[in-house]
Amino acid sequence: MRIAAGVDVGSTQTKAVLMAENGGKTILARALVDTGANVRKAAENAFLTACRDTGIPATDVGFVVGTGYGRYNISFGNAQLTEISCHARGAHFVCPTTRTVIDMGGQDAKAISVGSDGQVLDFVMNDKCAAGTGRFLANAADVMGIGLDEIGPLSQRSTRPVRIATVCTVFVESDILSYLAQGKKGEDIMAGVHLAIAKRTLSLARRVSIEPAITMTGGVARNIGMVRALEEVLGTKMQINPDAHFMGAIGAAVFALEKMDQSFESSTWRPEHAAGSGH
Amino acid sequence: MRLVAGIDCGSGFTKAVLVAQNGSPNSSILGKGRARSGINMDAAALAALQDALRDAGLSRDQVHYVATTGFGRYGVGFRDIQITEITSGARGAHYLFPSSRCVLDVGGQSTRAITMGESGKVRTFKTNDKCAAGSGMFIVRAAKYLEIPLDDVGGLSLHATNPQPISSVCAVLAESEIINHVSAGVSVENILRGIHDSLAERAVGMLKRVGMQGEVTLIGGVALQAGMVKALQEKLGARVNVPPDCDYVCALGAALLGHKRLAMKESLAAMQPVS
Repeated sequence: MRIAAGVDVGSTQTKAVLMAENGGKTILARALVDTGANVRKAAENAFLTACRDTGIPATDVGFVVGTGYGRYNISFGNAQLTEISCHARGAHFVCPTTRTVIDMGGQDAKAISVGSDGQVLDFVMNDKCAAGTGRFLANAADVMGIGLDEIGPLSQRSTRPVRIATVCTVFVESDILSYLAQGKKGEDIMAGVHLAIAKRTLSLARRVSIEPAITMTGGVARNIGMVRALEEVLGTKMQINPDAHFMGAIGAAVFALEKMDQSFESSTWRPEHAAGSGH
Repeated sequence: MRLVAGIDCGSGFTKAVLVAQNGSPNSSILGKGRARSGINMDAAALAALQDALRDAGLSRDQVHYVATTGFGRYGVGFRDIQITEITSGARGAHYLFPSSRCVLDVGGQSTRAITMGESGKVRTFKTNDKCAAGSGMFIVRAAKYLEIPLDDVGGLSLHATNPQPISSVCAVLAESEIINHVSAGVSVENILRGIHDSLAERAVGMLKRVGMQGEVTLIGGVALQAGMVKALQEKLGARVNVPPDCDYVCALGAALLGHKRLAMKESLAAMQPVS
């Protein structure tokens, strides 16, 4: 059995996935840690946590692919790939019919057009503004004084969503405050916020061609309010996998297993560096 | 003494300015006061007005006319008239610097560039209507992350030796850039000056789009920050006018416009009907 790992260093959370090749590819472990200020350390922690959870020594991992915004800070990575490629590949691995990926992470939102082999055909992403990202939703939750996990379920109870005109994270804070001052219900405000972001994401996604099946990836996929709002504006259901949050790391792990086949570098790599560095 | 109040309901603070109704229209400022805006504009406006009355040593029943401005101007129940912050900002700046034809107002959530005619009337303006890029909130968030009191930001920025540019325009995304700078060991002074440079660059872009000419008057709460003034002057290659009470200029403009409006109303009322 050959084992490889994918480590996705996101702006907010770092994800590691261990994957085995034994006839087919199987996910052995997933680990999730907050990225914080020390990106290098976060990558190591996620990787070592995944190893510990499975009892697999770090030295048995033959190849590590890093992805995400902090990928070049991974001290033990054998190769780096963009999160675009990894999300597409991960979504294809989990759901082979995927032709469009909508990825909503901590600080970015992307739409990726995916080919039948999981390759990237086209993509668009937010680069100037935090609208449609996890940060946006975390801010909204803060203003409402509730947990990030609560805003999705709360918005589902709405009967009359409020209208939110701007999607600027800063402006929406004042919009929420003024709606609260007017006595609007929390669920109607949050439903309005989710809808505004869904519309914005739809216009982003329209810049690539939106083909079914649509798979949603990234941490925001855990927010039921966002999923439902997106499905409403898309007019179709999306594939929501419990591993949505780990999709980048899964894709990276798939690439890692393939790269391991292609190269002999794995034999010259010293995995103990992974366990030893940073201490 | 009869008073006219101008109240500027901004996103961060509500500011009030009192002027005398009698005497020349260019009455001097009798008092000024402020309060945090919060979510109840009525309460904030009243608190700012009372603060101004205390400052002037005058009482509430002397206030005969209230002109509101700023984004919360419609939320004040006891107003007599509401004026946009563009009009009042231009008017206030014109009163303080009669030869200035261009105003840059950098507030908590908005940035505006205004050009005006000789009488202080607005000719053209641009404002950030879609997002908070280039507004004071950018600095508020950075200061919060860097754990620096907002009042210290302007002074620290002046001491930068090697400003680090911030390329993000989004107030939220810029935070991660700031985090990167911090973890790379960049000094707080250099980070803050980078933020001021980034704001100044956006402001100059806006000023160019309105066709700025002549001397620029900088108003709004962000003008309190010496580092921002310096960054703007360097980008423009010229001095800018900064009034001492730069954050009260819109409230002053509203009070002056209210004064004019009230005088007009009363002179109309005093007219004898034609028999």
